[in-house]
Formats: sequence, C-alpha cells, structure tokens
Amino acid sequence: MTRTVLRVAVSALAAVACFTIGPAAAGVPTDQLKGQINRVLKTLADPDLKKENRAKDRRQAVRRIAEDIFDFSETAKRSLGTHWNQRTPAEREEFVRLFSDLLERSYISKIELYNGEKIQYAGDTVDGELAVVHTKIITAQNSEIPVDYQMYRKGDRWLVYDVKIEGVSMVSNYRTQFNKIIRTSSYQELVKKMKTNQDEFRERERQQTRS
Amino acid sequence: MERTKVNLVAGFFVIFGLLALGYLSIKLGRVSFLGGGGYLVTANFPSVGGLKTGSNVEIAGVEVGRVESIGLAKDYEAQVTLRISTGVKLQDDSIASIKTKGLIGEKYIRISPGGSEKIIPANGRIREVEAPVDLEELISKYIFGKV
Repeated sequence: MTRTVLRVAVSALAAVACFTIGPAAAGVPTDQLKGQINRVLKTLADPDLKKENRAKDRRQAVRRIAEDIFDFSETAKRSLGTHWNQRTPAEREEFVRLFSDLLERSYISKIELYNGEKIQYAGDTVDGELAVVHTKIITAQNSEIPVDYQMYRKGDRWLVYDVKIEGVSMVSNYRTQFNKIIRTSSYQELVKKMKTNQDEFRERERQQTRS
Repeated sequence: MERTKVNLVAGFFVIFGLLALGYLSIKLGRVSFLGGGGYLVTANFPSVGGLKTGSNVEIAGVEVGRVESIGLAKDYEAQVTLRISTGVKLQDDSIASIKTKGLIGEKYIRISPGGSEKIIPANGRIREVEAPVDLEELISKYIFGKV
C-alpha cells in the first residue's frame, strides 16, 4: 500500500519536474541561438574546411546550420509584405528559395571574413510568442556592434525571422526594396532580377574554383 | 420694428462669426473632440529621438494617423501611442520606423504594411519597430572606436 502511494508520489513529482523543465528549456531563446552560433564558429575554425578550394563546402555547411535556427520562409514572407498575399503557393515557394539564396549570397559569404571577433550575449526579452536576443559583436578595434535577433516560437524551438544591426532591420530594408521594385515594375521583374543575380554569382563561383 | 430686424441680423452675424472662428481653430489646431476618430495602437521604441506628440504617421507617404502621446515604458523604453484612421488595417507584422523628412527635417513614423493575415486590433501593439538611426553616434563609434 505504502509502496503504491510512494510510486504515485514519485511519478507526480517527476511529472511536475518535467513540466517545469520543459518550458524553461524552450523558453531560453539565447541558449538556442548561442548553440547554433557556436556551431557556426566551430565550422569556421575547422582547419579542414579552411583550405582555399573548399570555400563552397564551408559556406554550405554554414547555410545548413543557419537553416536550423533561421526561418527563411518567415523572413521571406515578412520581406515581401503585402505582396505575399497575392502570390500563389508555387510562387511563394519559388520566392522563398530565391530569397534564401540572396541571403546566402549577401550574408553567409561575408561570414567568411570572420576574424576572431567576439560575440557577447546581452540577454533576451521574451514577449509571448516573440523574443529578442540582444548580442554585441566586439571587433578587433574594440568597437561594439549591437546585433538583435528577433525570434518567434515554433513548438519548443525558437527561430530567427529578423536581424537588426545597429537597430536597422533586415526585413524592413528588404521590404522597402522589394516594394519599390514591385510597384515600379512587377513581381515578375523582381524574380527575374533575383534569378539573374544568383546565376551571375554561380558563374563567378565556378570560375573561381576552376582557377 | 425696423430696428429689431437690424439687431437680429447683427446678432446672427456675430454668432455665425464665432462659429466659423471655432471651426477654424479646431481645424487648424488639430484638436480632436471626444478622443477623435480612428483607433489607438502602441509601439515601444528603444529611443524616439525627436518625435513629438502630433507627429505624422504615414504609409507610402500618405498620412494615416498621428502620434497621440509619448511616454516612458518599463525598461526605460519609449512607448508611443498612435491614433490610426478607421479603415486603415495594420497587419501584425507591420513595421513602424521612425524616419526623418529629408536630412534634417522633422521626425515621423513610417509604417510598412506586412503580409500577415492577423490584423492588429484597437489598443493592440505594433511589435516590429525600428528606432531612428543616430548618425552622430554611428560616426563617432567608427571614428573613435579604435582605442
């Protein structure tokens, strides 16, 4: 009899423990972001991938990690703003792909320039389903660049949908640019532009690996 | 008899004049009666540098509202309350940015509409904000950054 009571009590305790640990572990966006950033730093420090002709592999490795913490489709949707609603599912899918390529071109390739800058985590603010993780990049010149990651909760994961550098939002920047192109020409023109840029980038890359 | 008529006309004229004056001062002074039209939304900014009560709120350069009040929220953030015209719907991923007219002009709030299906209700909050870029601070940081 006592044993049964004990067992019930223990399982109840375990349930309580699970319950309290569960949300707490998911409720720390900084930890999740930090984990992925550390993975990126490790990849960049990998001597095997540092070799000249492996730049592409390195970038792909970084992109794979980025896909774990960034929600490219959410970022693409927010960047397209009001025009997102007018797109068909097929167009949306294509746009998300082109947009992730654009981000890879403009940001992940820049990450190669990483030269031992330190990253400081300055806490986060969680507000319901959204959170902001404040970080600072300390450059070799000792100046601080504030970088804020806007994240949202998806199940027990936190995913980044916007990055603010010096308070300037990436989504806002793309939203203004995309809106301008779509209003002055058309959505098709925007897609064409993004495709051409991607093709040019691929071509340049191919030439680099050959030489 | 004739005199009463003249007095009456003069009286009406004065009343009409007063009404016109009242109308003008309300219109020009942008005084809103009984809270005015539209609905309120708030937005928290890390800094509002130069934004004032009564500043414009624009979408695509079109005025869609005004800054109702600016106060200090917890964590020493600036809380800005906006009055948005009825009929203007803001998606919950709309971004409110504080911008400057020209290089040194007045500050205003620009809202870039989002693509979400969710609409911010009255007394709701714009979660996505962009504070004004402090050029001076930026320049000094990159000039004096090196220690």
